[in-house]
Amino acid sequence: MSENKIVELAKEQALVLDCGKSLKSIKTAYTTYGKLNAAKDNAILICHALTGDQYVASNHPITKKEGWWSYIVGPEKPIDTNKFFVVCPNVIGGCMGSTGPKEVNSETGKEYGTDFPVITIADMVRAQKLLIDYLGIEKIFCVTGGSMGGMLVLEWLSKFPEMVHSAIPIATATNHSAQNIALNELARQSIMADPNWNSGKYYNSDNKPLKGLSVARMAAHISYLSKDALHSKFGRNLQDKNSLDYSFDADFQIESYLRHQGFTFVDRFDANSYLYITRAMDYFDVSSSNNGSLIESFKNTSSKVLCISFTSDWLYPTSENKKIVKVFNTLGINVSFIEIETDGGHDSFLLEEPKLFEAMQGFIKSTYENL
Amino acid sequence: MSLINEKKDFKIIADLIPAKSSVIDVGCNDGSLLEFLKEEKNIDGRGMEIDQQKVQLCLSKGISVIEGDADLDLYDYPDNLFDYSILTYTLQATKSPKNVLSELVRISGKAIISFPNFGHWKIASSLLLKRKMPISEKLSYSWHETPNLHFCTINDFIDLCDEAGIRIEKQANLKTNKLNKFNGKNLLNSYFNEVGLFLVSKIKN
Repeated sequence: MSENKIVELAKEQALVLDCGKSLKSIKTAYTTYGKLNAAKDNAILICHALTGDQYVASNHPITKKEGWWSYIVGPEKPIDTNKFFVVCPNVIGGCMGSTGPKEVNSETGKEYGTDFPVITIADMVRAQKLLIDYLGIEKIFCVTGGSMGGMLVLEWLSKFPEMVHSAIPIATATNHSAQNIALNELARQSIMADPNWNSGKYYNSDNKPLKGLSVARMAAHISYLSKDALHSKFGRNLQDKNSLDYSFDADFQIESYLRHQGFTFVDRFDANSYLYITRAMDYFDVSSSNNGSLIESFKNTSSKVLCISFTSDWLYPTSENKKIVKVFNTLGINVSFIEIETDGGHDSFLLEEPKLFEAMQGFIKSTYENL
Repeated sequence: MSLINEKKDFKIIADLIPAKSSVIDVGCNDGSLLEFLKEEKNIDGRGMEIDQQKVQLCLSKGISVIEGDADLDLYDYPDNLFDYSILTYTLQATKSPKNVLSELVRISGKAIISFPNFGHWKIASSLLLKRKMPISEKLSYSWHETPNLHFCTINDFIDLCDEAGIRIEKQANLKTNKLNKFNGKNLLNSYFNEVGLFLVSKIKN
């Protein structure tokens, strides 16, 4: 178990962001598990997804649920906390203690709200690098994460290749497709259409944009699941009733399930953070600083990489993940690829998927043995 | 296909590959040939394998492996990325042996190809005398469950190379464990070799 820690970095020199603005005294909330060894060669950096946070393998302080990747991270698990020093930071722009829209801007004494600069995936990685430097780690043994976490992994491989020994990007893409952007826009519009959003100034109000955030989550949640999984779990089954109500109550189990997902999400997530982080994902194109050339973007990468995709993931499908593999192959990078058959959809990387467990364990173990 | 796990085959393949070459083994199975070549020749190896359980085995051995299909995924590699490509006992299971062969000599300077020879006298006699599809050590499946789509004889392979603009440089004799300079088609060759193992390359225009 790890206590949440918060460190303030970039105190002297502000971090210049892609948007041109800069951030000073950046707070990063993070958890660690295991111990950094004397050679400092056993660090694993875990990058969370859009609505993830630093509670990767310890109980969440709000939901009280176990860590979001407890299946993968822990003693004797693929990311073996007996062996590795695991670091999981909350991204900047997030809402679990790292600098983001709901934190107080020291210059104004008020919450940032939408005055927070628009950040990118690259900015998140720059902030993570400050943390890694602070922890005294020169070379990270492995950087891993799924979905947006996978984008951060790719950004690490591109921008700080010399600092990454190996990497496992999971269910991700080198940029956001029009479909990805469209889904995020739907979520943002839902938040901003909530009168309680109030242009992002709601932190001192009793009325928060919970309805908008909840609908945003419902829409996103559909995209995390596959049609088959939804069908086998819910079908057209009715919720606690034997016949249709001829009303707009939650007649179907799937409606009730989605509403529940929405309601519970708002307890732990901030609407403005949702806007900022989805924007960062939409803006993401790992090749943008190299005129769109993926080859140029990874030409200095010499890390050992394992790419993983899931057959039923339609949000970041196998084809997107294979694009990464193709680029790495072209560059002669030591890349492996595995497509795991599952009906769990995009969310599969968060589920108890034995083949994911086996692939990660095999790769991490053998890579560390050959270090 | 049992034969490829015999160290004898590995040795002959290792003899064809100079030290420190970059090598892709297409249909790399559990990665044991790549491991052997790493040990013997310190190669920089990559694998491709269609069977996920074997991909998992490769990962656990630290072998860089792509879960992929020789018919579909060789197109993802640039020209001449590797010094050598290897295709052992897989050609006959591909949908398009000609395309696969052409891709192999495109992505690598030289390719090592092995396959069960359908022209071997035992196999031919099974057809001729028993009128039954042959089953042998190297062809261990019944006709109705075989994953093999395109059986060929050594002479067929030689003709295909000719058609595809591929030069045969050497042929291995797996009985004597010798590598011979290739001297063209002859009937005895196709009669008495259970396995064809060739070193080929693309004929440059």
